[in-house]
Amino acid sequence: MATETGTTTEGAAFGKISRLRGIVFEYLTLAASVFGIASLGVLLGYVFWDAFGLQAADPLWYAAFAVTLVLPLTGFALYGRRNALAGEVALELFSTVMAGVLGGFALVVVLEVIAGSDVWSAYFATVAGPLAGLFVYGRRNEANWVGLAGLGALVVGPVVGTVALDPLTRVGELLGGPGIYFLSLVLPAAAIARYVVGDVLEFGSGDYAALATVVVALVGVPVADQFAAVTRPIWLMFHVALVVPFGIVAAKNLADRDRWIGFAGPLILAGGVALLVTLPEVFGIAGPEPWFDWQYVTANPSRFADQAGLYPAIIGSIFMIVLVALLTLMLGVGAALYLEEYAPSSGPLGAVTRFIRINISNLAGVPSVVYGLLGLAVFANTLRLGFGTVITAAFTLSLLILPIVIISAREAIQSVPDSLRDASYGMGATRWQTVRNVIMPRAIPGILTGTILALGRAIGETAPLIMIGVATTKFSPPGGLFGKMTAMPMQIYTWAGFPSQEFQHGVVAAGVVTLLVVLLTMNSIAILMRNKFEQSDI
Amino acid sequence: MSQNENTTTTTDEGGTDPQTDDEKLISTDVTTGEESARAAATSRTMVEARGVDVYYGDLQALDDVSLEIPEGKVTAMIGPSGCGKSTFLRCINRMNDLVDSARVEGDLLLKGKNVYDDDVDPVALRRQVGMVFQEPNPFPKSIYDNVAYGRRIQGLEGDMDEEVEKALRRAALWDEVNDQLDKSGLDLSGGQQQRLCIARAIAVDPEVILMDEPASALDPIATSKIEDLIEELAEDYTVVIVTHNMQQAARISDQTAVFLTGGELVEFDDTQKIFENPEHDRVEDYITGKFG
Repeated sequence: MATETGTTTEGAAFGKISRLRGIVFEYLTLAASVFGIASLGVLLGYVFWDAFGLQAADPLWYAAFAVTLVLPLTGFALYGRRNALAGEVALELFSTVMAGVLGGFALVVVLEVIAGSDVWSAYFATVAGPLAGLFVYGRRNEANWVGLAGLGALVVGPVVGTVALDPLTRVGELLGGPGIYFLSLVLPAAAIARYVVGDVLEFGSGDYAALATVVVALVGVPVADQFAAVTRPIWLMFHVALVVPFGIVAAKNLADRDRWIGFAGPLILAGGVALLVTLPEVFGIAGPEPWFDWQYVTANPSRFADQAGLYPAIIGSIFMIVLVALLTLMLGVGAALYLEEYAPSSGPLGAVTRFIRINISNLAGVPSVVYGLLGLAVFANTLRLGFGTVITAAFTLSLLILPIVIISAREAIQSVPDSLRDASYGMGATRWQTVRNVIMPRAIPGILTGTILALGRAIGETAPLIMIGVATTKFSPPGGLFGKMTAMPMQIYTWAGFPSQEFQHGVVAAGVVTLLVVLLTMNSIAILMRNKFEQSDI
Repeated sequence: MSQNENTTTTTDEGGTDPQTDDEKLISTDVTTGEESARAAATSRTMVEARGVDVYYGDLQALDDVSLEIPEGKVTAMIGPSGCGKSTFLRCINRMNDLVDSARVEGDLLLKGKNVYDDDVDPVALRRQVGMVFQEPNPFPKSIYDNVAYGRRIQGLEGDMDEEVEKALRRAALWDEVNDQLDKSGLDLSGGQQQRLCIARAIAVDPEVILMDEPASALDPIATSKIEDLIEELAEDYTVVIVTHNMQQAARISDQTAVFLTGGELVEFDDTQKIFENPEHDRVEDYITGKFG
């Protein structure tokens, strides 16, 4: 017995401490997270069931689905847990494709649908070209005047471009669409590929990368001509946005034998999809009848469910969100930097700063419909930017998410350790040099994450758009900044009110899936950019 | 305060060298007759404090501190936590300006020029007064970029590769990192990081190097390397070092200032005298470990 000697009694008398409350709490938190994830899963399952018309599929098709896609991908995911490199490479490839597709669409929307090749050529000659040239010059020679000249070009360029639009577009017409895009997109892309491959990633020769960029662009032209939907300009844009980045990322990963295994992920996905499309047809198994298909994303809205498409709304939403992203990044990061790095924190002005900080947090909680009213009063009525135009919508939604962007940017800037600020100031750096060289590089990944989350909220907003008079249905995409637009959630909401079951279930669900795909693509771009900045941080 | 009279007549290093007339920061209005007489008696003064008070809001962190730090020597500041020694250090290069609530009164002269004059740009001042901090704080950049940072932001001329090598050699780090200059400064060990920070500070060739407990976060071996380095640096630079470690102060410094609670400078003298025969009982109590 342990109680026989005094010393062992003392040594053994640790007893037991009740952990009942702790255990109950642990399982409550587990239940909360399971409930959240499960309800989200049910919601997504419901939407996908409708959007892809899965009720029409034969049970055998599900078996084929499981065998061709679910099992191999699960296997790869399990393997990726043990071999982190494989998962990383697969994610990188996947993100590049997603980002490339969205980038390609954005180029097509901005350059072909809205601007047109001749107008683009005018502004490329006066704004984009000089800016790019100055940027490259500034990177090579550390000259102080380059920044100022860039600012000048940003101000003077658009003015010159607008005044001289007529003669410049005539020059552009001489070249023709494909010629313009070859000069303004493919050649710069080749230069960037040369720089990225040779100097940044340092694998292989940059000259070959540049040559391959140009050659593939030219070889692709006759191939693209075979398809009616793919015009030469569209091919060149997707080449620049999707093919070239994917080629670089793939080549980089191919250069390292250890990373080859990562290609299995995308290959399994592509092979699985191909098998899933061909096999059931061969064996005569009934597949699903998806509402969400190519016709859906390229057609205009229609009274008939099987002809309805979301094209004008997709273009409108992407156009708007690009403007919102530009506006909120500039204004939000600027405001956050001022509040964190420049604004006084004590004295009477410090009280003003604190007041502003607190109220920015409050603004983040204001209902979106209030911002809609504000947009209606200020942008649509007072500034006469028009009802339901792209620019009014972009300004209104920018206001809506600006507080969120400022808060997340402030948090990212706060998370830069003060010891780094001290180090920089201690070296005799000015405030600007410290912000530019020390604070921003560390804060950018966090800023991007917060901004993308906020943009996700903006692209799904409906209430403020209703307030500023955005159309519920439009049969053509917006023709410019002041063109009338519609947005995906508006169109989806309209369809949900249609009496027919096909609209209420199939078409609406397909719209929701489209919205989710755009969101997912935006997130993958954010992941890509964050990884890039974190790597460049060495 | 009576002890300040001691402080001004202590140094007896062979410097009967009356020339105080050099360099950029000199201003004529401060060299009164009494001052030049003192300067003649001691080696040249690099930093001089006259009745410096520092407040953080209502809290007084330094109380009427006066001392003269000689050029080309290691001057140590010791004292218990919260005694104001780091505050004094941060006054010399006006890092306290970055703290909104900080207020400095009195005169603080660097080479005879009051650094709190209106015409002194704190940024320009910090370019001549390097600083090394308690925690090693290299930038999350490559070793090369860390050392080059100061020269780049200051737009200094010269071959950058050479200057980086020179600074790394001077900081006794070159042999350990010369084949990995592209590696992140954060991948180095703590002691190497601190030497990298010293290399970063001396790469711009400052007049004075301020060190705020540079070895307190390091192990004994890394500490001894830093200490050797500090003694070497004193050949070219004026080093002011704050430390908690009294043995360290005794080992490496020529002059020692003892701050005790309340931001009061109690004694400032040759290190040997402070540690062997201090004037004040409180200093003796502190040094022998009776408190603090």
